[in-house]
Amino acid sequence: MLTPDRVPEIIRDGFSLKLDEIVASKFVVGQEIITKNIHPAGHTRLPLYARSKRGTIMMHHGVFPFPDSSAAGAGPNPQNVYCVRFSAPEIWGDNTHPLDAIYLDLWDDYLLSLKELPR
Amino acid sequence: MNGAHDCGGMHGFGPIDRCHEDEIFHAAWEQRVFGLLWAVGAHGFWNIDEIRQAMEGMHPNHYLSIPYFEHWLSAMERLLVEKEVVTTAELAAARTRVTQEVHHVDA
Repeated sequence: MLTPDRVPEIIRDGFSLKLDEIVASKFVVGQEIITKNIHPAGHTRLPLYARSKRGTIMMHHGVFPFPDSSAAGAGPNPQNVYCVRFSAPEIWGDNTHPLDAIYLDLWDDYLLSLKELPR
Repeated sequence: MNGAHDCGGMHGFGPIDRCHEDEIFHAAWEQRVFGLLWAVGAHGFWNIDEIRQAMEGMHPNHYLSIPYFEHWLSAMERLLVEKEVVTTAELAAARTRVTQEVHHVDA
């Protein structure tokens, strides 16, 4: 329960939604993935510009509630979140520098292994 | 949701205005909305993903034309009605009452 005495500390330091649960990871650090081509009507944290894009798993953040599920009132559906690196050319096309990159924090359900590439 | 908030890569917005970076709130009402969202949200009516969804669900014309903290206010009003904490009639009545009070003070 949020009490007034806790507010300054939370405003200053933020708060984490990280869960203690362990959920089997679908992916490993270093693995190449491709993002799904999903277009949910509700909340999602997979941006429009990053759908059906190839990236590399850089870091595993742990287990968090899945926002798409949470926002729909369907419960937390806890999943692994990874920091995924996408090269600038992959997202923004040819007129970019090949060494530039975007990093996105993405959940298991946003990602496919290259073996699962859609036809 | 492929809404107006998901604007990464869109052209035409121009460079980010960094003139007022030190100002967190540009008006007193913004401070009030900030506090209100926390105080009301602490009752557990919604989770963070639901409030974001409520903001994102605004009509794009509306979303893009109002200040940031008005997204918060609009989302809060929408969720409080959806969660049946208040009714649209109660919100409308409160607005009318406050408007009348303000005009009475200014008169």
